[in-house]
Amino acid sequence: MPTKEMASMTVQKTERPPSGPTEVQAPDGGPRPRGPRATPGRLAGLTPYLLLAPAIVATVLLLGWPLVSNGMLSFQNLNMRQFILHLTEWNGFDNYTEILTGEDFWRVTGRSVAFTAANVVLIMILGTLVGLLLARLGRKMRTLLLVGLVLAWAMPVVASTTVYQWLFAQRFGVVNWVLAKIGFESMADHDWLSTQYSTFFVVLLLIVWQSIPFVAINLYAATTTIPKELYEAASLDGAGAWQQFTSVTLPYLRPFLYATTFLEIIWVFKAFVQVFTLNEGGPDRLTEILPVYAYIEGMGNQHFGMGAAIAMLTIVILLAITSYYLRIVLKQEEDEL
Amino acid sequence: MKRKLIAAIGVAGMLVSVAACGSDDGDKKSGGADGFKGETLTLWAMDGSTPDKWQKDVTAAFEKKTGAKLKFEVQQWNGIQQKLTTALSEENPPDVFEIGNTQTAAYAKTGGLAELGDLKESIGADWTESMNKASVIDGKQYAAPWFVLNRVVIYNKKIWAEAGIKDTPKTREQFLKDLKRIGAKTDAEPIYMPGQFWYHFVGLTIGEGAELVKKDGDKYVSNLADPKVAKAMKTYQEFQKLSKAPKNKDEATPQQGEVFGKGKTATFIGMPWEADLAIKTDKKIAKDIGYFTIPGATADKPEGVFLGGSNLAIAATSKKQELAKEFLKIALSDKFEGQFAKEGGVIPNKESLESALEGNPAAKAMTPATPGGGITPLIPEWGAVENPPNPIKNYMTAVLNGKSPAAAAEQVEGELNKRLAQKQ
Amino acid sequence: MKRSPLGRIWPNLTAVALFLFFVFPVYWMFATAFKPTGDIISENPVWFPTDATFEHFKTAMDADHFWTMVGNSITVTVCAVVLSLIIGVTAAFALARMRFKGRRGFIIGFMLAQMAPWEVMVIAIYIIVRDADMLNSLLPLTLFYMVMILPFTLLTLRGFVAAVPRELEESAMVDGCTRMQAFRRVILPLLAPGLMSTSLFGFITAWNEFPLALVMNKEADAKTLPIWLSSFQTAFGDDWGATMAAASLFAIPILILFVFLQRRAVSGLTDGAVKG
Repeated sequence: MPTKEMASMTVQKTERPPSGPTEVQAPDGGPRPRGPRATPGRLAGLTPYLLLAPAIVATVLLLGWPLVSNGMLSFQNLNMRQFILHLTEWNGFDNYTEILTGEDFWRVTGRSVAFTAANVVLIMILGTLVGLLLARLGRKMRTLLLVGLVLAWAMPVVASTTVYQWLFAQRFGVVNWVLAKIGFESMADHDWLSTQYSTFFVVLLLIVWQSIPFVAINLYAATTTIPKELYEAASLDGAGAWQQFTSVTLPYLRPFLYATTFLEIIWVFKAFVQVFTLNEGGPDRLTEILPVYAYIEGMGNQHFGMGAAIAMLTIVILLAITSYYLRIVLKQEEDEL
Repeated sequence: MKRKLIAAIGVAGMLVSVAACGSDDGDKKSGGADGFKGETLTLWAMDGSTPDKWQKDVTAAFEKKTGAKLKFEVQQWNGIQQKLTTALSEENPPDVFEIGNTQTAAYAKTGGLAELGDLKESIGADWTESMNKASVIDGKQYAAPWFVLNRVVIYNKKIWAEAGIKDTPKTREQFLKDLKRIGAKTDAEPIYMPGQFWYHFVGLTIGEGAELVKKDGDKYVSNLADPKVAKAMKTYQEFQKLSKAPKNKDEATPQQGEVFGKGKTATFIGMPWEADLAIKTDKKIAKDIGYFTIPGATADKPEGVFLGGSNLAIAATSKKQELAKEFLKIALSDKFEGQFAKEGGVIPNKESLESALEGNPAAKAMTPATPGGGITPLIPEWGAVENPPNPIKNYMTAVLNGKSPAAAAEQVEGELNKRLAQKQ
Repeated sequence: MKRSPLGRIWPNLTAVALFLFFVFPVYWMFATAFKPTGDIISENPVWFPTDATFEHFKTAMDADHFWTMVGNSITVTVCAVVLSLIIGVTAAFALARMRFKGRRGFIIGFMLAQMAPWEVMVIAIYIIVRDADMLNSLLPLTLFYMVMILPFTLLTLRGFVAAVPRELEESAMVDGCTRMQAFRRVILPLLAPGLMSTSLFGFITAWNEFPLALVMNKEADAKTLPIWLSSFQTAFGDDWGATMAAASLFAIPILILFVFLQRRAVSGLTDGAVKG
């Protein structure tokens, strides 16, 4: 049976591997004996903590500390002068008040959420479809498509962003050239970056293009783990292809889809290079999303305190967006073990 | 190599190499003209600023005179602001560094630049006044002027001849007429002028005597609504109309020199070195390239130009102030400044050295416009305006897309004022 | 399954179309790297670099300290990945196999860590490293990259550990192995695909990181490759040929790693025992 082998192969093929094989591969119902009875005693009780210690220490030290220090910076007036002279000028909640009372922030946040939603929805739907297609293809075609996906994913962001910029350039762009050749003469000089929506369209295309490989390859790997018996049983019950999909495939893949969506939300929400390089958040700052805003205010204008405050707010917003998923995980972990 | 091997073994190994790094700079205090033995002076110059031979000669002269070593570090443009700001906060900053003339005021205000009043007294008496202005903030000297460049008209002689034009134009009106003639008589694009070529626009405002900002009480605000600015923009628009270049891109995307290099563009306005890009695109074009000064409204006065250039500054926290000044004295001496101008094709910091540009046709086209040139407002707040997305670029695109200058000014004023009002 | 001829053709056609869609920009990168400067931007696209040139590759590789940066990048990336794998797999084992107080909290904690906005924390990190007098060193870079990829590594490996049937582990212990031995001999080999894929992810993240490396390591001999990759975009205009050549070179280690890991991981699988 090639499927099993392919599954294992494709798991490593992924750049960002399936995040939730647990959920995928060990659905409830399998035999789940209690952990081996390790020697009881104080030492055994400590073992999990000892095993976790390096990870916790590293995270607290190298993530927690910068985070706390970032929080402290967010209460300071820290610009070029203070930064160079090592001055600490506390200014209380000034940075936050300024950000939260300005209309920019809320507009940018709203746009960021919509932008993330549009991207993630497209990525998940198209990624899933490509993944299902992979499962359906013959060996040769599957390898071909996998190669294409992997190449797209391995391309450095600097390069892909530049190439997309060229493809959609007004005067020397390949896209306009092709459109003009196939009969859309009016597109010969079309300026893709002149309006908010068409700029977003190009950015969206770029991000979706970059992100589909991850979802597709992992989803394909996950489908290969679905036990054949489930389909057999379903078809005995007289289920058609679509019903098999909704009653077997989809439920089986649900945890995987949740986990991937979670990751994609995080990644897309933080997409900075693509938006900034393509059109600097323009035209007229109309495609500015939160990371771009944070960069322009914090790094570009060198208002580091302000940048730190925006960073803190970004975390809060990201938490709010992903809280639904985190709740699911919390509940699920409660049921397990 | 050994260090790398150790490092590759693991983190512990890297600690060793870190320790090895720490003892690089023996920083012994020593004074006197050549009592600098054993010290190392670090210099940051931007990529593309320093000709190789000049760099070698200056290094040799410096090391000979002082006995110290010169560490010449070429900096890339990408992310240079963050790099410079962070570096100035460090214990061992670059001792001497190149800094853009429009940026000097902002950095001077941060306290990161050493005051150079005494240097100005000893070697700067005849520094060109219009250049030195950018280094003086609140009456104090914070950097030494190094070089400037201004834009010229770069044209394709073959195409101009094809259109039957014999002489290069002396007035703006004639220039426009010639370009239109090229448009009518040849199939070339008369001029390549993208919509956000804001350095050229700033030059035009300088030509009109317009200011981009004005004082309102104790702070600066946008002055884009000034009719003089609108007039400069109108001029810009007349030229831009003759070009097929995108209205929402600047002169570097795509590189206008490369577009010109394809041989289907008759003219563009650019820095002399941009002609090299054209030649890199197509070697055959080299013999057809000509230069002339951008013509102004009348024949006796060239167009206003933006003087892009750099100063040399010393980090306030550098522990080698004396040595750094020694370096500036050598690098900016008539001998080396002259050599620098000659090899780099840039305008030196003294008028008396401009003879070094003899025989360089591009530089010769540059100098007539230099005295009438200027730069962006010399206020510390200006730095923020240039950060992308630059509101002035947006103003230009808005006008070119059909907005009235007044309406376009209103559209970007909020953003511009916000940036000018930023806390320092 | 029964399929009509049409049903057999359309998936293949779609696959070819998708392949072209995904590969075209990549192809354009490689093709541009070989094009003479005059062909890079062109009224009529140059689809194939007929007079190919190595000039751009030469420019890219002639950059000062190129090989030092290659060495630094490899050191930092490999150390970060290996460290995070070691730390990650130990923690993953605890989280997947053991019951203890606070387990749920730890899992959520690592999920939150995954959301950390590293890009906007650059200044905070810089200040810490500067004040610890550790600038221009590969150590802090390695450690921070390690933590950037740790949550993902750890959570993914947890999934893989949980997927290993407990019976396997138990039978090994019945055969007289200690828990540690059982882990090493039974579970670890089965984790191969997970280790491979997480290391690939980690490698790419660390390999590409730019903002931290830019401000922390300014000395020429402490720089990493992303700095080099961005150095062909200058205020004098971007050298696109060199940028694309550099990007092509930059992507090669990732592709090599991919091919290498794929083969290794297959042999690491014992009779498909991963999936019960």
